[in-house]
Amino acid sequence: MTNLLHRLAPLAFTLARMLVQAAGIVVIVFLLARLVPGDAVDVKGLEGDLTAAQQVELRHQLGLDRPVVEQLAGWSWRLLNGDFGASIRFGRPVSAMLATALPTTLLFTALSFTFALLLALGVAVSAVTTGHRGLRGLVDVLNVWSIALPTFCVGVVGILVFSIWLGWLPVLGSMVLPVIIIGIDSAGLIVKPLHEELREAATSAHVRTARAKGLAPSRIALRHLLPTAVPVMLALSGLVLTSLVAGTLTMEVLFGLPGVGSLLLNAIHGRDYPVIQAAILVIAIALVIINAATDLLHRLIDPRMTS
Amino acid sequence: MTAPLLSLRNLIISAGGRRLVDGVSLDLEAGRTLAIIGESGSGKSLTALSLLGLLPDGLEVDPATRITVDGRVLAPRDERGWRALRGRRIAIVFQDPMACLNPFMRVGEQIEETLQRAGIAAPAERRQRIVTGLAEVELPNPAALATRYPHQLSGGQQQRVMIAMALAGEPDLLIADEPTSALDASVQADIVALLARLQAKRRLALLIITHDLAVAGVLGHSIAVMQHGRVVETGPAAEVISRPRDPYTARLVGARRRLADVPAAQTMARPVAVTAEAVCVDYSARRLFGTSFRAVHGASLSLLAGRTLGLLGESGSGKSTLAAALAGMRPLADGRIRLLGHALEPRGKPLPDALRRRCQMVFQNPYGALNPRLTIGRALAEPLALARVPASAQAARIVAGLNEVGLDADHAMRYPHQLSGGQRQRACIARALLCEPEVLICDEVISALDMTVKVQILDLLKRLQAERGFAMLFVGHDIEAVRWISDEVLVMHQGRIVERCRPEQLELSAVRDPYTRRLLSARLMPKFDGAIVEKPGGQPRLQVSTAADCLPAW
Repeated sequence: MTNLLHRLAPLAFTLARMLVQAAGIVVIVFLLARLVPGDAVDVKGLEGDLTAAQQVELRHQLGLDRPVVEQLAGWSWRLLNGDFGASIRFGRPVSAMLATALPTTLLFTALSFTFALLLALGVAVSAVTTGHRGLRGLVDVLNVWSIALPTFCVGVVGILVFSIWLGWLPVLGSMVLPVIIIGIDSAGLIVKPLHEELREAATSAHVRTARAKGLAPSRIALRHLLPTAVPVMLALSGLVLTSLVAGTLTMEVLFGLPGVGSLLLNAIHGRDYPVIQAAILVIAIALVIINAATDLLHRLIDPRMTS
Repeated sequence: MTAPLLSLRNLIISAGGRRLVDGVSLDLEAGRTLAIIGESGSGKSLTALSLLGLLPDGLEVDPATRITVDGRVLAPRDERGWRALRGRRIAIVFQDPMACLNPFMRVGEQIEETLQRAGIAAPAERRQRIVTGLAEVELPNPAALATRYPHQLSGGQQQRVMIAMALAGEPDLLIADEPTSALDASVQADIVALLARLQAKRRLALLIITHDLAVAGVLGHSIAVMQHGRVVETGPAAEVISRPRDPYTARLVGARRRLADVPAAQTMARPVAVTAEAVCVDYSARRLFGTSFRAVHGASLSLLAGRTLGLLGESGSGKSTLAAALAGMRPLADGRIRLLGHALEPRGKPLPDALRRRCQMVFQNPYGALNPRLTIGRALAEPLALARVPASAQAARIVAGLNEVGLDADHAMRYPHQLSGGQRQRACIARALLCEPEVLICDEVISALDMTVKVQILDLLKRLQAERGFAMLFVGHDIEAVRWISDEVLVMHQGRIVERCRPEQLELSAVRDPYTRRLLSARLMPKFDGAIVEKPGGQPRLQVSTAADCLPAW
């Protein structure tokens, strides 16, 4: 029992630290949103011809005329009671807006991340184990692709080719094309460092031992080579995943996917404070979960981490 | 005479036109042990790897090379052909067991892989064989040990696991490439003795690659001496060691022999340079609420001007930490050090720069201690600039300093990578001496060097001390070297000084501390008088001799 506690203590410590970080992010965003000139009432006023008196009245109703610290305290208190508040612009509860945006983003994230990881792993591992020149070239092609070709350019060309010329996919609402595009883009980020790590591991002493034992190349790759690359793979996966959860805005806009990214962008345009805050909070919590999960996985896979 | 198990003819390995192995021919016979001895860069490890088809990419093997196993000729790069032999007919044990075992797999699983490879299909039988295999290499509680990960074992245990893994496939030929070099002295002898027993028991053909004359002499029926990629001398082990014919072999044997002569210690009264009273040094905890680690417990010593204090210990004994504390480079947790009249205390004032210059350190790895982007001359100019020597006078001082350590003026123009290991260490010593130190702390300065170079550096230090009269703290793990150079020897174990004696008293018959006794009795020494004992195989082999019965022979 004490032993288990001893092993979990560092993890709990990390988790607590990350939660503090998440709270920090939310507070900073809360304050930054109020630093930006103009508030939700100004935007409403421009759109809907509110008189000055109506604006003052509305601000008072929304509590926007109170000191920032008081607003923060009030928002935090309601949040702790499970109340995200309502959108200033649309009047809808923020929780309902998140409930429609989150599933789209999560599904999109899960699909494109799985695709990216499988692609990167497959290419990197087969390039190292076979030493095939074409596969090594593919590592560089993927890497250069993700650096040089912005996803929105590829997206526009993709729509043109597959939706308009070939007519295989609908222009809006289909996830196939964006998943492939973001998948390749993320795979390009992962594949290069992963390949380097695996190449270094291939010359390491314990892989040489495995060869000296006369093991088959496939077994050496799976049992001796791949585990060595796990830390790097986890670190890169964490980075890619967090950027995906935060929303791949261009893809959402281009393919008409109502995800967290477009929700957040619209909220920022309209100075819709409750929505901005809630969306950032969700992203920050996702960040904490992803980091804790990669840490935990690393501990589970590498026996040297636990003792 | 039967045909050899493995025969190697005219092995030539080159990289970019430079020959690393230049025409080596060897025969390995069943039940016989051949030791290849040579210093770093002699091509001995490449020769071993080529016998498994494991040469790294980028090396070219000359087409004239013929490797014959069981009468079958194998091309050096015939991966498929070699893979059929690896683990089954030929197995290998490498130098650094920590790096050579897969850190992600339990040691039992790693042995099981070899067993699977050897065609043992039944899991129950494999489990049984893992336990007997681990018991055969004399590991305690083999069943429990099989479930451990490599990092949970000590270095000696890891190497035993490597040996068990190599033998699991019941090979006919076992290659051991520097099997004891990464291990502590007290463990080395056990592993060597184990290899000797296993070789005799299993009638293995054993190929030992080593830089250590003692290991070669104890294990080898015959010895091949390699230098610059060539075999310069082969012959029965006893003969090569006691009557070397080749000049290089003679130098190798002579270097080892010289260290055995313990010079008479001097007893003149001298001023005290450094004293330490009950010094404790902690390594602080890496995370919040962790406990700090105490590396040195209550060490007291005094170092006299013009004298050498030897600090002997294995890795992790705290000897380097104590040396750094004495140089004022590590805060004390408790106790007190007086260094050249300045008191160092816990939370006390740091050493003033002027004093720091008068106490210099030389480190183990001279390549790491020299900035690779500075020429030797520029590296040596740095302490002079700190001492405000005018630029016009620096060049002459640098040349004088280099000459003093046996280097020339044109070495000042070179970069560290253009020097040999011994020359680099000489440059480091020259740099330390340019500060005119009164205290010189040598932390494992000869550990990374070849045998013949070690002796040269020891000679150099002794001569410089006689000329300049500095006090020297010589930290090392090599009993012979520490005993040879020191006027007094301290033995450290687990952070404590467990023995202090005069160098000539560092004998099994004179010391009382159990750890020191263990260290001394584990020492491997070649017998230079060529005493030969009969081995079960009918082959002459040198006896495993301990210090006690070995020293009086010469």
